[in-house]
Amino acid sequence: MKQIINLTINDKKYEVAVDANLTLLDLLRYQLGLTGAKKGCELGDCGACAVIMDGKPVNSCLVLAVQANGKNITTIEGVEDENGLHPLQKAFVEKGAIQCGFCTSGMILSGKTLLDKKPNPTETEIKSAISGNLCRCTGYQKIIEAVQSVSCEG
Amino acid sequence: MSNYDVINSNAPRVDTPAKAKGKAIFIDDMSMPDMLFGALLQSPIAHGKILNIDISAAKKLKGVKAVVTAKEAGLIPYGVSPARYDENVFCHDNVRYIGDEIAAVAAVDLETAIAAASLIKVDYQELPALLTIDDAMAEGAPVLHKKYPRNICAQVNQEFGNFEAGLKESDIIKTTTFKSKRQDAAFLEPQGCIANFDKLTENLTLYSSTQVPHYVQRILSMVLKLPIGKVRVIKPYLGAGFGIKAGTNTMEIVSCLLSMKTGKPVKMNYSREQVFMFGRARHQFVHTMTTGVKKDGTLMALKNECYLDGGAYTSFGIATVYYSGSLLGGPYKLPNMKYDGYRIYTNKPACGAQRGHGGVIARACWEQQLDMIAEELGMDPIELRLKNMMVTGDITCNDFNMSSLGMKECIEAVKDGSEWNKKKGKLPKGKGIGMACGFFVSGAGYPIYRSDTYHSTAVIKLTEDGGTALLYTASSEIGQGSDTTMAMIAAETLGIPLSDIRIESGDTDFGVDLGAYSSRQTLMTGHAVYDAAAHVKQQILEVLAEELNISADEIDIKKGIIIFKKSQPDFSKLRERYIKEHRGWTDNPSADDPLTFKEASRIAFLAKGIISANGKYKPHQLGGKFKGAAVGTSPAYGCSAQIVELTVDEQTGQITIDNMIDAHDCGFAINRVSVEGQMEGSLSMGLGEAMFEEVKFDSKGKIINADLAEYKIPTALDMPPVKAIIVESSEPNGPFGAKEVGEGAIMPTIPAILNAVYDAAGVRIFELPLTPERVYQAILDYKNKKAS
Amino acid sequence: MLLPKFNFYEPKTQGEALSIMNEYGLKAKLIAGGTDLLANMKRKLLSPDALVGISEIEEFKNLEISDKTIKIGSCFTVSAIAESAVIEKKISALAVGARALGTPLIRNLATIGGNLGSARPAADIPPSLIAYNAKAVLKSVSGERTVLLDKFFKGPGFTEIQPNEILTEIIIDIPDGYYGAGYINLGIRKAQDCNIVNVASFVSLDEPNGVINSARIVMGCVGPTHLRANAAENILIGNKPSEKLFQEAAKIAESECKPIDDFRASAVYKKAMIRVLTKRTLDIAVKEASLK
Repeated sequence: MKQIINLTINDKKYEVAVDANLTLLDLLRYQLGLTGAKKGCELGDCGACAVIMDGKPVNSCLVLAVQANGKNITTIEGVEDENGLHPLQKAFVEKGAIQCGFCTSGMILSGKTLLDKKPNPTETEIKSAISGNLCRCTGYQKIIEAVQSVSCEG
Repeated sequence: MSNYDVINSNAPRVDTPAKAKGKAIFIDDMSMPDMLFGALLQSPIAHGKILNIDISAAKKLKGVKAVVTAKEAGLIPYGVSPARYDENVFCHDNVRYIGDEIAAVAAVDLETAIAAASLIKVDYQELPALLTIDDAMAEGAPVLHKKYPRNICAQVNQEFGNFEAGLKESDIIKTTTFKSKRQDAAFLEPQGCIANFDKLTENLTLYSSTQVPHYVQRILSMVLKLPIGKVRVIKPYLGAGFGIKAGTNTMEIVSCLLSMKTGKPVKMNYSREQVFMFGRARHQFVHTMTTGVKKDGTLMALKNECYLDGGAYTSFGIATVYYSGSLLGGPYKLPNMKYDGYRIYTNKPACGAQRGHGGVIARACWEQQLDMIAEELGMDPIELRLKNMMVTGDITCNDFNMSSLGMKECIEAVKDGSEWNKKKGKLPKGKGIGMACGFFVSGAGYPIYRSDTYHSTAVIKLTEDGGTALLYTASSEIGQGSDTTMAMIAAETLGIPLSDIRIESGDTDFGVDLGAYSSRQTLMTGHAVYDAAAHVKQQILEVLAEELNISADEIDIKKGIIIFKKSQPDFSKLRERYIKEHRGWTDNPSADDPLTFKEASRIAFLAKGIISANGKYKPHQLGGKFKGAAVGTSPAYGCSAQIVELTVDEQTGQITIDNMIDAHDCGFAINRVSVEGQMEGSLSMGLGEAMFEEVKFDSKGKIINADLAEYKIPTALDMPPVKAIIVESSEPNGPFGAKEVGEGAIMPTIPAILNAVYDAAGVRIFELPLTPERVYQAILDYKNKKAS
Repeated sequence: MLLPKFNFYEPKTQGEALSIMNEYGLKAKLIAGGTDLLANMKRKLLSPDALVGISEIEEFKNLEISDKTIKIGSCFTVSAIAESAVIEKKISALAVGARALGTPLIRNLATIGGNLGSARPAADIPPSLIAYNAKAVLKSVSGERTVLLDKFFKGPGFTEIQPNEILTEIIIDIPDGYYGAGYINLGIRKAQDCNIVNVASFVSLDEPNGVINSARIVMGCVGPTHLRANAAENILIGNKPSEKLFQEAAKIAESECKPIDDFRASAVYKKAMIRVLTKRTLDIAVKEASLK
């Protein structure tokens, strides 16, 4: 039996009927068309599915859609605003922090949450903040540089 | 600064804004109207004879649209190399590993498809599971593939020069054995595909997460018996591949088969566990090497014996077993080299090609041995390498032509960058520094199937107003940045800004390109793109020359502007025509403006119709004539040197990598940031293989760490700062002098770490990965030995 | 990876939650962060008829601090523990354990109750809590009881919690005087790792640089549950901390643990690492105690 949930995603209110065993990730990707959160492992090991839920980045593959009832969700699609790319998105593009791009959504959301809380993080804090987002392409170097470049700009 | 306007810069990649926004479409982001979902039935046992397959219950389940087995799929063998086509779509006689595919279902949703697959009943007669090389080669062991007795899938015996003679001239002889572990490439995006067969037109389109649309197209055509012209393979954005997605996977064929049965699109995905079960990543290698050197450090001879645990099928393995010998031909002058390689079938997922194909472990074994030799000679390890290294123009004993080789520059760059002389042997206890070198091909000199085919083609066509050049290539952007590289080459060659190139790639309808493997695209696709762009440019110049009544030689295009090398002719008539055609436009040029590419190409269009050109590339005749010469022969070779600093906690055996510095000769950097990115990524993958990574099996042949929690790739916290230094030796066979960087950069990483561990803790370790326990044990053994 | 089918209940209050558990018992599973549970359900290791979501019940999310005690609601997240200044100040080893757990993305979901309830012998939260002599409050419709965490774990995946009970909070009595604790976990990589071994040690001194008057050493991954190194603790008590004493205690702890060989490491290595980590955590504990 489906349950009705209400949640806010990228400032838009949704009322959706979901099965209890649907994950937030599958809700976003297959029912709402928000495919920016990626499916890399489905077990909370890779971080490609990260979204921000009530201010904190989480693995959306480990959240039931019904648990997201009443929550405020930001996905990668909600990071850009009417002025264009968020400074961190811009930095990722300009610093070469993106290769295949599969980890990018989660990586940017983890980085953004850190910067929102701590505008001038240390290198270790940056590494720690993204340590749940695996990247196999970049070796993280340019990702860390991208986050640093935004923090310096303040 | 270079004289170039576009290339050799840090230009942001063309594909990354979409990726930063989460808008880039990967395979699992796609869906189609009325799409079905496919699921596989895979063998739960490692080795057995199939006695019976009963699909009746699965067929009856509500929502099931098709169930297929070997009966429907047929038995046309396929694989990667025609020399070893040893796979069928589905098992019909035996299953050979846990995960071997037996049947598949298409249903209205994934849940139903999985449920139906589990209803298929298979009776097996279990056979002994051969899980190690020793098991598989044992007298009386069952044979996985009838054609290959003793389970020897492939055997290579080569000798260049005379090893024994070389050894006789040597003063020091060193033998070591080195063992690595099976890897998983752990790309973030699991393989997936959507097949769409139109029953009316019999056109088949496969969207797939592949590195090689061209090879997949050919295999589909061969196995499904469809003309190549009826098969189109399209690669959406790809979440990396590292070699594993460079062969055809079972789902790619099965989804097509299911779509042909049902007439509907069929989507299939591997779960992360299935990614591990499909395998095809780096083999486990056991190398035994004997090296002879003279007292002055001159390398005289190398004997290399290697056993590869291949898994149940060949995949790329026939190339792997050659590479693990041939890639030691350089970058040092080595007059005598003997190689005996054996790839062995076992009841595990097939191994294949992974970044640094075949060469990584051979390199690790040898570069550690070279350090041991240097120590015995009382020579600095860098000195030993500098003494023996090849230079541009040298040819290896196995006929590889070092048409450019900045090995010396690489070594010196890392030596200076790391303050080697201040640190080597002088760091405090527990801290160590180590170095190593490596080298790799810039594209395989021959296609995987024997053919005179062009390796790359490209088409450039200008939009009718000339404002934009459309570049079509079948090459594969897999995350490495090839789209940007190709767009930059096109822009530079045409003389227009990068923003005026629109690239479409990864589609077999765009031409022939062998795809992203063997570090080939920058050199090979790059040549084809250059060729196409040069021809387009020439057409514009010729029309312009005729219109202005000057010689085409007097005209050039730079930054989107027409350059008149001599005096500027009166082009006001041309401009008038252009403006007349653009009445109402607000951006028309005014009288004083220089003549633009846009105007010129409009004029060219008016003269000739759509301006387009086909570019193409295949390597010239390369390499030796001996058996296996095709593997390792390349139009160019990249090389690199690395230095690693690390700390060993002697009480726990834990290693912390403190610093890495890498210098890589990529010939010429088309995009500097992308080159650095390949270097940094290679080092990270090498660090993971050195320190953490190992696919582990239980006693039944089941993988026990088929996830990204227990198969441990480096996290951000595991990576030290990495300094990437680009060396540019200008490769004569590469476009603008460019050659590889994507794979060669991984070569020195593992041995540099091994050599640094020795410097830090005094122990030589001959088995990977360097887990805390393995390092702890080595230190303990060393201390006990010292005490007694 | 699809989740099996189940009914989802989301009680609004503790009372409601208790009566649902009273009715369903073994057929239901509580879900808070879900990081362990949902992964196990996706792997088809578990397939409960019902999940009872309790992470939104306010009573379970409280952190109550007084001079004498710290009470942590079972649905308090691991990241909140890691970031709490009070926890860092009063019971620092718990914060260290919290920071060692999983990844930031996991810690934002995972709860202290979940980490205890899942009862994995390698878990990062229990050793420090046991070292601080923490207690678990278990409630059911018929009442509540308090269980010392040291007696809470029964085996891998098994705890003192009865099918009709809910772990509602953890109580830590703040020790008097000069005390300190250390926690170290040893794994393969520097984040997101399953521990090979982990150790928490607690000591209190009668005065700065004085003699040890109480000690607890908790060893993880070396038995079906976390183990206390009782004999090692005993030789510490009544003695002044010293390099030699701690080495001796570490050696005894090594002999007290009972690891098995598994795919992560051999028993021999785990034993040796218990010795190293015991020594190192004692050093941290005493250093902290002397600074109080």
